[in-house]
Amino acid sequence: MTTHVPGDALVSLNGVNKHYGQLHVLKDINLNVRKGEVVVVIGPSGSGKSTLCRAINRLETIEGGTISIDGKVLPEEGKELARLRADVGMVFQSFNLFAHKTILENVTLGPIKVKGVPKAQADKEAMALLERVGVGHQAPKLPAQLSGGQQQRVAIARALAMKPKVMLFDEPTSALDPEMINEVLDVMIQLAKEGMTMIVVTHEMGFARKAADRVVFMADGQIVEDAKPEEFFTNPQSDRAKDFLSKLLTH
Amino acid sequence: MDAILENLPLYWEGLLRTLFLSTVSGVIALVLGTLLAAARVSPVAALRGFSMTYVEVLRNTPLTIAFFFAAIVLPRLGVTFDQFEVAAIIALSAYTAAFIAEAVRSGVNSVPVGQAEAARSIGMKFSQVLSLIILPQALRTVIPPLINILIALVKNSSVAGAFFVLELFGYGRQLANAYGDQVLAVLLGVAFFYLLLTVPLGILASTVERKVAISR
Repeated sequence: MTTHVPGDALVSLNGVNKHYGQLHVLKDINLNVRKGEVVVVIGPSGSGKSTLCRAINRLETIEGGTISIDGKVLPEEGKELARLRADVGMVFQSFNLFAHKTILENVTLGPIKVKGVPKAQADKEAMALLERVGVGHQAPKLPAQLSGGQQQRVAIARALAMKPKVMLFDEPTSALDPEMINEVLDVMIQLAKEGMTMIVVTHEMGFARKAADRVVFMADGQIVEDAKPEEFFTNPQSDRAKDFLSKLLTH
Repeated sequence: MDAILENLPLYWEGLLRTLFLSTVSGVIALVLGTLLAAARVSPVAALRGFSMTYVEVLRNTPLTIAFFFAAIVLPRLGVTFDQFEVAAIIALSAYTAAFIAEAVRSGVNSVPVGQAEAARSIGMKFSQVLSLIILPQALRTVIPPLINILIALVKNSSVAGAFFVLELFGYGRQLANAYGDQVLAVLLGVAFFYLLLTVPLGILASTVERKVAISR
C-alpha cells in the first residue's frame, strides 16, 4: 500500500469505523486524498465503498475515528456541519434533483439560500455551468422531463455551483442506461482534467484507468489495495483484488 | 318548514359564526400542526418526544375533553377569557393540530429520502431542507387528508354549541326548543347549512389536488 503524507491532505480519514447492527461495514479506514487528486474507489457490492463516500459528508454517521476536510474535523450536527457540507459536492446514484424545482432552480438554490449569492449572479453562473455540462437549453424544464444522463449532469452542475473543495461521486452512472453513461463520464473526466479533487465510487473501470490518480480497492469494509491505476489493473497484489478483476475481465 | 324560513337570518348568523370558528381554528391548527410535524422529524430528540406525546394524547381523547379543559380547567389555572368562543377556538385548534401533524408527517415521509440528502449535501440547514425542499413536495400528498381534517373541523365546531357558543348547531338547538313540533325540519335545516360549508371544501380538495399533481 502506498502511503501519503497526511499533512497536505484535503480529505483525511483516520481509523474510521462503522457498524450496521452486527455488520461491520467500515473497518479501521485510513485514507488521505490530496488537493487535485482523483481517487476511484472500487470493490464488490457490500464492500462498504458507498458508505465510505457518504460518511465523508456525514450522510452516514461514524462510530469511531475522525474524518476531516481541509484540516477541519467533521462536526456532529447543526450549522457547522451544514457549512462544511457546502464545501463538499455530492453526486448521487439516483440523481436526487429537487423534483418540484426547474433545472435552473436546482442549480441556483444552494448558492442563493446557503451562500447568499444575489439571484441575478446565481442565475448567470448556473447557466454557465449548465452550458458546460451540455444541458443549458433544458434550464426551464422540470427534472422529470429530462433523461437520466441529463439529470445526472444537472446534479453535477448543482454540486459545482457551490464551488466545492472536493466532489464525491456515489456510483454516478449505476442507475443510467448504457448509452447515457459516457455523457456523464465525459463531464467527470473533464472535471478531473481541470484539477478538481474527486472521490469516485464506481464500477466503470474505463473511467478509473483514464482519469484516476489512485485506485482504492475495498472488500469487506476494509481498504485492501491503494495503488496507481496501471499498477492495480496490471499487477494487483491481493487475492481479493485478483479475484474481483478476473470476474470483470471474463465478460 | 316555517321554522326554517322564518328563521333564515338566525341560520345565516349561525353559519357565519361556524365559519368564523372553523376558519380561525383551522388556520391556527395548520400552523401548530406543521410545527408539530417539523418537531417530529427534527434531529432533536426532546422535540420529537414532545411532538409525539402531544399528538398521541390529543388524537386519542374525545374532543369534548379538550373543550372541558379549555372552558373550565384553563380559567381555574388563571387563564381567563371574556367569551367562551376563545375557549372553543383553543380546544378546536389544539385538537385539530394533532391530526394535521400526523397528516403532514406522513406527507414528509412520502418524499424520497434522497431529496433531503441532496439538500443537506449542498449545505442547507434543517429548517431550509424542510421549508424549501420537503414541505413543498409533501404538500401535494397532504392536501386530500388535510381537507378531510378541515371538513371534520367544521363539523366538530358544533361541540362549541354545547358550551354556550352560539354557532350553527347552537342556534339549531334553540330553534328546536322553540319549535317543538318541527324538530326534524329544524335539524334538517342545520344539516343543510353545514353542507353549504363542507361540500365546497370537498370540491376545493379535488381541484387543488389536480392542480398540484407533479410527475416524478
